[in-house]
Amino acid sequence: MYLPTAVTKQSEIEAAIHRVEQSIGPDVVRIRYEIGEDWSGQWAIFFRIVLKDDAARSRLRDVATKVVWGLAQHLDFPAMGVFPYHNFRSESEQAMLQEPAWA
Amino acid sequence: MGLADDFLEDARSLADSSVLYNRQTLMRRAISTAYYAAFHLFVEDFVEHWEFEDQRARLGRMFNHGPMRNAVFAPKDKRNPTAVEQELLDVITAFGQLQKDRQRADYDGGWRLVETDVRDSKRLAEDVFAKWRKIKGEDIARHHLLSMFGAKWD
Repeated sequence: MYLPTAVTKQSEIEAAIHRVEQSIGPDVVRIRYEIGEDWSGQWAIFFRIVLKDDAARSRLRDVATKVVWGLAQHLDFPAMGVFPYHNFRSESEQAMLQEPAWA
Repeated sequence: MGLADDFLEDARSLADSSVLYNRQTLMRRAISTAYYAAFHLFVEDFVEHWEFEDQRARLGRMFNHGPMRNAVFAPKDKRNPTAVEQELLDVITAFGQLQKDRQRADYDGGWRLVETDVRDSKRLAEDVFAKWRKIKGEDIARHHLLSMFGAKWD
């Protein structure tokens, strides 16, 4: 069974996430991820990004762009055999939904 | 204004209504419509160059969702993409995200949407429109559009 090289690069992915969280600062509360197949059966890395309420409400374009670019700068997704997806929600939204995958 | 611009306007309107009424079905329609706005943007740009106007709709129906997302592009220098290359990479990433979210919005009944999901889909669609219209005349963009249509390099 084919597995993308991304599955062997967890520490590299976590290090990149940590760098992005540090560089963007408090607007990003946390970034979680998982590797799996997307709707078309292609391998992908799914990032779940929780933002401060103000960042999600008033500066989504700016902060989301920084997160997406930041991760792409540190991680070579094509070389890892995955397509990157990024979904965002605010701290309050996650507090209301309490979804473990975003915790 | 063509279909693409109309869809974008509808996506914005649905997004606003969905948040105002806090209605999951409207949120799903907003996200789906945002994707279709981007989809038709590429289709329209491709078919407008076909000389025979009465055949353009038929030509446009050849676009397939999966192959559009799978079209590959790599900058000459991955670490230092040019400004145009970065815009194209942004378009590709945004389009892929819109497509994935549209699949979920239309078929994943378990997805609990929030306002940020909807506002992000609006952001992504607007970015695709703005960036694509800026670069669509560039060689790499024209070649990428061909790749989205399914044309091979060799």
